[in-house]
Amino acid sequence: MNLGSLKIEPRLEPKFSWQLLSALLALAMSMIVCALMLSAAGADVGKAFYQIYKGAFGGWNATVKTLVMSTPLILTGVAVTVAFQAKIWNIGAEGQLFAGAMMAYWASTFLSNSPSGVVIPVVIMAAFIGGALYGGLAGYLKARFAVNEVLSTVMLNYVIRYVLSYLLVGGSWRDPSSFYQQTPKVAEAAHYPLLLAGTRLHLGFMVAVLAAVTVYFFITRTSLGYEIRAIGFNPTASRFKGIHVGRTVVIVMLISGGIAGLAGAGEVFGLHFRLKPDISTGFGFTGIIIAMLAGLHPIGVIAAAILFGGLVNGGIRMQIFTGVPTAMISAIEGIILLFFLTSAVLTRYEIKRVKADG
Amino acid sequence: MGDFFQTTIIVSILAATVRIATPLLLAALGELVAERAGILNLGVEGNMLMSAFSGFIFTYIFGSLWVGLLAAVLTGALMNLLMVFMAATLKVEQVVTGLALNMLASGMSLFLYKAFFSGSGNKLPTIQIFEVVQIPFLSTIPYMGEILFSQKLLTYVALLMVPAVWFFLYRTQYGLEIRCLGENPKVIDTKGLSVTLRQYLAVVCGGVLIGLGGAFVTIGSTVRFIPEITAGRGWLALVIVIAGNWKPSGILIAALVFAFLEAFQLQVQGVGVQLPYQLLLALPYAVAILLMVVKRSTSEEPGRLAVPYFRGER
Repeated sequence: MNLGSLKIEPRLEPKFSWQLLSALLALAMSMIVCALMLSAAGADVGKAFYQIYKGAFGGWNATVKTLVMSTPLILTGVAVTVAFQAKIWNIGAEGQLFAGAMMAYWASTFLSNSPSGVVIPVVIMAAFIGGALYGGLAGYLKARFAVNEVLSTVMLNYVIRYVLSYLLVGGSWRDPSSFYQQTPKVAEAAHYPLLLAGTRLHLGFMVAVLAAVTVYFFITRTSLGYEIRAIGFNPTASRFKGIHVGRTVVIVMLISGGIAGLAGAGEVFGLHFRLKPDISTGFGFTGIIIAMLAGLHPIGVIAAAILFGGLVNGGIRMQIFTGVPTAMISAIEGIILLFFLTSAVLTRYEIKRVKADG
Repeated sequence: MGDFFQTTIIVSILAATVRIATPLLLAALGELVAERAGILNLGVEGNMLMSAFSGFIFTYIFGSLWVGLLAAVLTGALMNLLMVFMAATLKVEQVVTGLALNMLASGMSLFLYKAFFSGSGNKLPTIQIFEVVQIPFLSTIPYMGEILFSQKLLTYVALLMVPAVWFFLYRTQYGLEIRCLGENPKVIDTKGLSVTLRQYLAVVCGGVLIGLGGAFVTIGSTVRFIPEITAGRGWLALVIVIAGNWKPSGILIAALVFAFLEAFQLQVQGVGVQLPYQLLLALPYAVAILLMVVKRSTSEEPGRLAVPYFRGER
């Protein structure tokens, strides 16, 4: 046999084209499963898909609404990206989002009579600090006590939800005129300005895009960004190279948490104008899928987040017009991630022709 | 009289502790077996939720608790089969896989529930649940009888699983091999035994236990299904494995301690004592973090947890 044979070998650097292909493959597979679920639920598959599309990107209004929905998702996606680049499994973007929202709300209560020019920068900074401190706590526990960040961030997610619930029920934050667990409305001056008059697209979207671009340059162009990627690639080698791994872990979690915190402020001051437990419907977790699907690329996160924002809005329209429950969308999100992980295996290998001479 | 009331309250808190510990203990033991084989299954919460759901729905359809229980166990095994396929065969990131399973379960259980009962209007579907099984003679022992021997079947199963899992891991050949996978899988490979096969065995068996835990949450406890009914018990199970230092006996103690906090909180709320109960609910999670901080010199954490094994690695 002189023809040689084909050999499958591990690939060191996954090719971008293969990554894109595997992401598209995962989406296609998920659509097939989606179609199966729809027909199982007794819906007209074509009609349901059309309604999802209409709700997501069917026209100007729907598209702007999708951008509004994608705002927190871009931020949680970028937050997760920063951490995952360093192979730090921050599952706590959800909790950090709430920590940011709470810190921002708390800060705004001191500035109820100040003009927008003062309140809004303070609110944004407070949100970053709140999320950063909460994320940094997990980072510190990992660096100092080797506490597994997956478990600590999950626990912190629960802790912050209960603390918020305590403040909204028994504590001083509750709106006394309301039956619901929520704070009073924030002052008019603290509302994020609108980017497009007559829509609900607010400053938060710009914050999100800016955060993604900043993180992109930070990771690729700065020495700290290089260190972050290096400890993700090989922590032991990084240590020998003189990178202070413990310190970098804390910094990563501060940044990651801070960006997630910005998402919380956007929802409170840009959309709901009050703090309540349902400002996030699992945005922190959806951010993980988005980050993975974007191949941990901050700019890719923007695209993936807009896609997912569209899915959520499309799901709502689908429920109205076809009666298929929106819960299908979150099931599909999990399925997309599973398919993506599976198809990403393909990018790890390459097929080589080996000459049969030895 | 005061003394009498205090004793009944303490006894009822302790009985509730054992009841609440049941799903935690089953899921934590299931997770332990998988982690000993080197697989970190973060999908426990999702697995429990899917098992709880299928236990409920199959009991509803067939009107038989035993069919429901079987369905829950099979679902637990299947969910873990998916986990181990991704982890041992495809060797993808175990952390992310586990999270994907959680999201899948969270959406899928709600979707199937709503799709199945879409026509039934406002009336929430209900099922018959398992009755308390009084153990003859033992249940008449003062205090202890009520706390330990007037429980549901699955509670007894959970308690018996503690020595059973211990015996399996520490006194059988398979158990030894599984523990070896978590420390040094190369040894197993060098002996000509299949690493992957043993990881499948461990994780799927663990899934059976998690499925039993999920079953207890619905058909062992409540007549209705509500979204996210497992409410973080799977995550607590993961913490219990750590708090119990990866040993069955330690896991029993940790599960009972966490369950006690919950039972105490329920009792306090029920009596109407003004206490910030949300903070009490947050306590187990905060305690869990503290327990992870307190480093033990004799940690039994498997050295190869969540590290995929590639043949020929150095």
